[in-house]
Amino acid sequence: MADLKILAVDDSPTMRRIIINTLKRAGYPDVIEASDGKDAIAKLKVENINFVITDWNMPEMDGLTFVNTIRGMAEYKSLPVLMVTTRSVKDDIVEALKAGVNNYIVKPFTPDTLKEKIQQVLNG
Amino acid sequence: MAISEKLYKNMQKEIVTLALSINEVVGKFKQLSNPLSESQERVPKATEQLDKISEQTEVATHQMLDKVEKITQREDEVSQGLKKIKDNTISGDFSNIVPTIDTLLEKVNLNSEDAYVIMDALQFQDITSQQMNHAASLLEDIEDRLHSIIGVIQGSQETEDAVPASASPRKERAYDPNADYTDKKASQSDIDSLFSSGK
Repeated sequence: MADLKILAVDDSPTMRRIIINTLKRAGYPDVIEASDGKDAIAKLKVENINFVITDWNMPEMDGLTFVNTIRGMAEYKSLPVLMVTTRSVKDDIVEALKAGVNNYIVKPFTPDTLKEKIQQVLNG
Repeated sequence: MAISEKLYKNMQKEIVTLALSINEVVGKFKQLSNPLSESQERVPKATEQLDKISEQTEVATHQMLDKVEKITQREDEVSQGLKKIKDNTISGDFSNIVPTIDTLLEKVNLNSEDAYVIMDALQFQDITSQQMNHAASLLEDIEDRLHSIIGVIQGSQETEDAVPASASPRKERAYDPNADYTDKKASQSDIDSLFSSGK
């Protein structure tokens, strides 16, 4: 659990802090931040990330485009991705599933839900 | 009295000019009606979003205040408990020291849990920020429509493609127009079943 390096992608600095603190409390202290999809791709290239938590609505590159982009790159095809977003419309969720998101959480989330979904993704 | 042919022709010319002017005015009104009706739709939407922000900020603030009140009350109790332990230790009375420390530890743990609940409640900032971006985007749209209307009134033919008359450069806004700070348990369970059926 402790050797998991997580990339938290969200344009809101408040949300990034909340996610990082929740992850630390859940036993995942190694977290890298990115403010949008482009920044996240840059971080993926230099850090040894093995789990991604991403928002959907972000400037520059949104979360869905980010997931679609990395799924097209051989090295990140099977990288676990958990989407954490306010979007709860069925069509959006279907779109996220098609893009290759491994699991999906609606904001506002509880620490238990975040922990549970990370475990579900890791357990396949 | 018979109208002379010259006068008749002049009148005909004037009537044609008048008809053309009326047509032009009608055309301008048609050009105005579209941006006006679109602006009319956007104003209530922006107001609705701003009301939502006000309501949801209040809900989140009350949740946090409830927890802060509990934390401060427990802190007082912890402080009194520590004082009691100190007094008893000075007087050499250790009889109730372990249960007192256990009670204090329980209160400290509850305070830690409540601090995390406050942190969770702070997610409202991201949600209301998206609602504000939506409202701002609607208002910017209205600004564009009004600019189009001014363009039409001033004689410009451009309506849809009118350049926004914004005083400052606009920022790129990324938001979910349906972002909402409510209990998402039902939605989350729907999503979970969708994901398990989609895998």
